Amino acid sequence: MNYKLVSTRDYIGKVLIEMQKKHKNLVVIDSDLASSVKSNEFAEVYPNNFFEMGIAEQSSMSSVCGFAMEGFIPIYVNFSIFVTGTVWTQLRQACYSNFNFKIIGSHPGMDNGPDGATHHALEDIALSRVIPNMTVFTPSDMNELKACVEEALKINGPVYIRTPRDTVPILHDENCSFHTGKAEILEDDGNDIAIIFEGSSSKEAYEGFLSLKELGYKNKLINIRSIKPIDSELINKLSSRVKGIVTVENHNVSGGLNGVISEEIVKSKNNIIVKCVGVNNTFTESGKTSDVKKKYGLSSEKVVEKALEIIKGL
Amino acid sequence: MKSNTINIEELKNKSKLYRKTIIEMIYKAKVGHPGGSLSCIDILNVLYNTRIDRSEENKDRLILSKGHVTPALFSVFMDLGYIEKSEINTFRQINSRLQGHPDRNKIKEIDANTGLLGQGLSIGVGAALAKKLKNDNDHNVYVIIGDGEMHEGQIWEALMEGAHYKLNNLIVFLDYNKLSSKGNCNEVMNLEPIHDRIKSFNWHIEEINGNDIEEILQVLEKIDSITDKPKFIIANTIKGKGVSFMENNPKWHSGGLNDEQYKKAIEELN
Repeated sequence: MNYKLVSTRDYIGKVLIEMQKKHKNLVVIDSDLASSVKSNEFAEVYPNNFFEMGIAEQSSMSSVCGFAMEGFIPIYVNFSIFVTGTVWTQLRQACYSNFNFKIIGSHPGMDNGPDGATHHALEDIALSRVIPNMTVFTPSDMNELKACVEEALKINGPVYIRTPRDTVPILHDENCSFHTGKAEILEDDGNDIAIIFEGSSSKEAYEGFLSLKELGYKNKLINIRSIKPIDSELINKLSSRVKGIVTVENHNVSGGLNGVISEEIVKSKNNIIVKCVGVNNTFTESGKTSDVKKKYGLSSEKVVEKALEIIKGL
Repeated sequence: MKSNTINIEELKNKSKLYRKTIIEMIYKAKVGHPGGSLSCIDILNVLYNTRIDRSEENKDRLILSKGHVTPALFSVFMDLGYIEKSEINTFRQINSRLQGHPDRNKIKEIDANTGLLGQGLSIGVGAALAKKLKNDNDHNVYVIIGDGEMHEGQIWEALMEGAHYKLNNLIVFLDYNKLSSKGNCNEVMNLEPIHDRIKSFNWHIEEINGNDIEEILQVLEKIDSITDKPKFIIANTIKGKGVSFMENNPKWHSGGLNDEQYKKAIEELN
């Protein structure tokens, strides 16, 4: 297979700079990780609109309410685990206020392999999507990130944007579009299996799709993009077309992508089978990111295995 | 800052009116937090009637971080016409705007939703920084926090940040009534020496009787000239102030009044 791999994280600063040119009233909040999440690039160009709050994530999260109250659009950029888990009640109260703010989580799932279990955000989709007023996006590559942040800035309310740190394939061109509540069908060979992934597991999902293609199966490859609101219309359509669904996520399989797709399938016309690829109710460990992902259940081989289980009626 | 003038006697009368409204609201709801509402009402009275200007796009802000004392906030709002007097019967009832804790999406004069303790001062830090960024030098951000609330670690994060950014437009009132839900706040977890602790965080600090209208007015005037630090006012108050059987009694942190208690409270406040 031939595609370029990039870390979407490396483009966060550049995207924020571009957005500031259009919106003027953005402020970026940091908790001493600007160089790791690349918001330092924004700080260099727009120092007045960049606020260092120290390693005080809870206070950082609540401070966005004050900026939003005064008419700014605050964007709090930090590791996924901190920006959802560490600050959950602060985030919940900010969402209850329904202030117009955005949070960007830069190290989702096992993307920060060597740091180990403490830093692996395997619950952030679950923690964010369960909060009322919240919108949750999972862009994959840097072009999709740009379109996603543009879309998020059209929403007058809280949005969580989950951004890959590990390298992922560039699946979109510079002019790609992004729409709230709309998934993207990347490949459509036929109606065997629908492989649905969130942005930070695009590589495993895509490679799994291609392996199955070589085996002669005609599948669909779907980039969910908008976890909340979810594309109910598409999921409902799929339920009467494909044999089954395989969800692929860099997240615990409970409460995340598999959770949301399963919730939709239960409501849809046909209760087709949904199998999951992801981390299954366990803490992980340190290791090279690719090794950790493989050991804890996120791999293209697992995608193939789960798809074949459905096809063979297992 | 407000441009209208109001004399001390008028303010004192307003405090009486607000206290009666608080008691009536909690009596009708059969639930609420009378003790803390009565201890901080004089501060809210002075701030809303002499300081907080809501007339233009840029506004003075008030974050009621100890969000459970909504009866105090709503009693002022009724007087200012932000909510209708008739709504007094709806406090904490279904379909009401008057929630147990502040909801800005139901009442637009509320600046932020609070109730989960410890978060209001950080919200204030954000608002104060935002005002600096947009050069709104004519308005302040006031935050009311409780003493039990100071057990929350996030308060101390925000204290660091306020001093770090020298937010002279950020003014904190600590409603220091010395009682939290369980009893003596400092026996639950000692805040003392509170004066030295806050000072060591590099805030400008003042200490007043927070149930004395004149002292509240004077301290606000005094701190106007402080330009290099955020300001922290230890307002020594009496929990349940104004109703003899509630004063300094932790039992009245939360709870309703029976007919007899209601009658006695109103008689005392008249």
